Amino acid sequence: MKIDRRFLLRGTCQGAMAVMGLPFLDCFLNSKGHAQTTGRPLPTRFGTFFWGCGLTHSLWIPKKAGKDWEMTVQLKPLEPFRKKLNAFSGLRVPLDSKPNGQHWSGLAAASTGIAPARTGEFESKTIDQQVAEVIGKGVRFRSVAASASGDPRQSYSSLGGSNALPAESTPLSLYMRLFGPGFQDPTKGDWKPDPRVLLQKSVLSAVAEDRHRVMQNLGASDRARMDQYFTSVRQTELQMEAELQRPTIEAKVAIPEAPSKEIVPSNAWPNLEVVTPLMARLGAIAMATDQTRVFNLSVSSPQNQMFKPGDPLGFHQSTHEESVDPKLGYQPRVAQYNLESMQLFAALLKELDAVQEGDGTLLDHSVVMAFTDQSYARIHSVDGLPILTAGGASGRLKTGYHVIGDNSPVSRVGLTLQKALGVSVDVWGKESLQVRTPYTELLA
Amino acid sequence: MKTAAFAVSRWGLLALFLAWVAPAADGQVVSLRRLTEREYRNSIADIFGKEIVVRGSFEPTKRTNGLAAVSTAVLSVTPVGFESFSKMANDIAAQVTAEGYRAKLPCAPRDSKAPDEACSRRILSHYGMLLFRRPLTEAELDNRAGLAKRITEQTKDFYEGLRSSLAMLMQLPDFIFRAETAAAAKDGSGRTLNSYSRASVLSFLLWNTTPDAELLRAAQNGELHTVAGLTKQVDRLLASPRLEAGVRAFFDDMLQLDTFDTVSKDSLLYPKWGSGMAESAREETLRTIVELALRENGDIRDLMTTRRTFLDRRLAVLYRVPFTFTGDWAKYEFPAESGRSGILTQISMLSMFSHPGRTSPTKRGVALADIFLCLPTPDPPNDVDFAEVNDANNPLKTLRQRLNAHANNKVCAACHDRSDPLGLSLEAFDTIGGYRTEENGVPIDASATIQGKSFVGAQGLGQYLHDSPRYPACVSRRLHTYGRSAQRWTTEAMADTNQVFQGSGYRLRALLRSMALSEGFYAVAPAAGQEVAQK
Repeated sequence: MKIDRRFLLRGTCQGAMAVMGLPFLDCFLNSKGHAQTTGRPLPTRFGTFFWGCGLTHSLWIPKKAGKDWEMTVQLKPLEPFRKKLNAFSGLRVPLDSKPNGQHWSGLAAASTGIAPARTGEFESKTIDQQVAEVIGKGVRFRSVAASASGDPRQSYSSLGGSNALPAESTPLSLYMRLFGPGFQDPTKGDWKPDPRVLLQKSVLSAVAEDRHRVMQNLGASDRARMDQYFTSVRQTELQMEAELQRPTIEAKVAIPEAPSKEIVPSNAWPNLEVVTPLMARLGAIAMATDQTRVFNLSVSSPQNQMFKPGDPLGFHQSTHEESVDPKLGYQPRVAQYNLESMQLFAALLKELDAVQEGDGTLLDHSVVMAFTDQSYARIHSVDGLPILTAGGASGRLKTGYHVIGDNSPVSRVGLTLQKALGVSVDVWGKESLQVRTPYTELLA
Repeated sequence: MKTAAFAVSRWGLLALFLAWVAPAADGQVVSLRRLTEREYRNSIADIFGKEIVVRGSFEPTKRTNGLAAVSTAVLSVTPVGFESFSKMANDIAAQVTAEGYRAKLPCAPRDSKAPDEACSRRILSHYGMLLFRRPLTEAELDNRAGLAKRITEQTKDFYEGLRSSLAMLMQLPDFIFRAETAAAAKDGSGRTLNSYSRASVLSFLLWNTTPDAELLRAAQNGELHTVAGLTKQVDRLLASPRLEAGVRAFFDDMLQLDTFDTVSKDSLLYPKWGSGMAESAREETLRTIVELALRENGDIRDLMTTRRTFLDRRLAVLYRVPFTFTGDWAKYEFPAESGRSGILTQISMLSMFSHPGRTSPTKRGVALADIFLCLPTPDPPNDVDFAEVNDANNPLKTLRQRLNAHANNKVCAACHDRSDPLGLSLEAFDTIGGYRTEENGVPIDASATIQGKSFVGAQGLGQYLHDSPRYPACVSRRLHTYGRSAQRWTTEAMADTNQVFQGSGYRLRALLRSMALSEGFYAVAPAAGQEVAQK
């Protein structure tokens, strides 16, 4: 028997209430007790990588466009993934009448296609959430965010407004969310739905039925907040529903041991060097086991507080206080932090590329967008914001290119990625950031 | 009636439309505040007992207008946040219905394998009132008890049904958010907070937890709308040792002590800074405040100047004080020559607003102006070049010399003239709060001049803030905002309260009491369109 999603949403199975005990579960299962498989192709995943304070123009932008671009100093850590990478330079971030919110406007423009009116707020869902709506259905987590420097606020994934989806802030908390209670290992043979989940799901349905009552007597802004609340209730309900079905997976991965709780993330480089790959690996395994299809990793806040022990200033403060070396033409210490940020991006890609599934790697079946807040942090400029992408979206995105922006708005990248991921969108962004033309030459 | 109104005329329709766009004065929810982690944990402990473990993570708040409390009235619950609330609700409900706990429930079913509606209604109405901070309506109770019955019938387990309904209550916004609901003022002067909202505002303000049974009883009887009734409850709350929890929560927010969650220090330059340091420093400051403002009922302006504090072993190392005390925490008084002055020179305030390996007089000054004087500083211009400030090789050796470069630029000077002197007077303390006398081999000059007033060092700054009328006024303003999550009180009410505060010699209890007894503190703005309707 085929279970269609809408059918499940009603919480009934052959007329029986969803709150029934075990016998009810039979309608989910085939005769062997396994969740039914659909034989569908591997899902495409999406990820973001955020680092603050950008890169150094003269050190990261290749001179040549197209496929034959020469490797540059700051892209060097990404050399192993060169063929799976796209680099976008010279993108404009027109803000129209909006202020240039320091360390915010650039990242919000890149991730929503809309210049933000206020620092700290997004004018719409961020790109990962727009994508998650399409590719993230039917899996446990619509999206997962993690902060390698250990701050739950360092998430640039949002349903709009000032709410960001909080990031998991330690490797252990990320692990527990993904593989703690509620997780059943689809790589093992003894997978079976948990009847308790059914009970919890029916409670959630009861909660959802109170929506109308709650909405009464509210002002407009509180109504919007409660609307978001009940959207969250709904998503948790969908999560429970997903937990009742065994995911189909092809990757050969094993669920690792829980990371030590002794690992306490911070902004210090030695920590980031350890935590970033650890979190990246957990995210990769979560995607390989189809617990989520959208994974967002940040390594800093926009005002990047990363520091090397012994450097009293750290990354962000150096961008403002370090002198431009007259011979080199750039800020040498800042350049070093730029380079290290790319090493952290490479660490994420390495974990994604290490997972074999189907005809390639997890990275091949993904698109990761690496973005930042400033193009030249020293003076808070946003035009020329660097964006890098990695992964071929299961063959739908061509890779290996350096694209010179030619004054295209930064939102063109977001539109292109959404097209590659199968999001039906023809126009993306607002005002001068509004775009209709993706980089068609990159779309397969 | 409604159909008749439809039939009447265009005016009838207009009236109906107005009634729809402008919610009734009575019953309109004017504010919804998401419980903070502490409020949630305290509520559960008070409602179900301290043995109930709350396992889970909470969505972060955001600081707006100086307070994280303000954001609780703006933020919603994201899917990630709700997932966690949902897990916690199920987990707490499981503990409350477990064998070992059942004796504490208001009743036991006749048969634990079958529904017992009378008993489940009793339990749900008891916990429902405590969780929602108001009684459940009949319809609500019917619905929750109905869910319990259905699940009990299906699982043949009374407690399974009860558990589901309790879990449901804790997943509803009525628990996760505290509502401020309007009611018409008795004297016809407009709108005010209804009884139950007053109970919540008072309880969270003074005890940082959900209203207790006595406060809810007073609310139920309308006592919080009478001077005598309100006074009785406010005095009861103020006299309780639980006031400490409320005062801690307020100052934790006002002093931005949550900043510590994201502070990292350079272990190479400052090997003494270790894990747990931030927690100790936060505790030191809160203990100092509670001791001075509550236990001793002192003048809160003295928080700027007192040399008395509390130390644990970790802090003693940083302060270079031999820890020769018994117990985890000990009272300690710094000698006058230590240069220390109140909470300004505690490790908390000094280290939170510094870089990992260096002080920042600007960062400190901006934070102090915002926190103690309610003077926020705008962002610097986008294209400012700070390189001058940092070149440690250039002839300007100290930060003071380097910062003075700002004075030559009018745009910079507008803000730096205010923030830098505050911070520069603290330069005798390094990024982790240690005392020092020189920087790069040059003696530190900790003198400062603000608006014509000159002073030297932290003790000079402490006295300056102590004597500034802006400081106690700022505490009062923040407390009002904290209590209502936004500027909802009337300005007249705050002015009256400030008079009382001043008259008391700046006693925190007097401020709290005057504020909590003032009708203006519970004010609600007129509903949109209300005036129009009256015309």
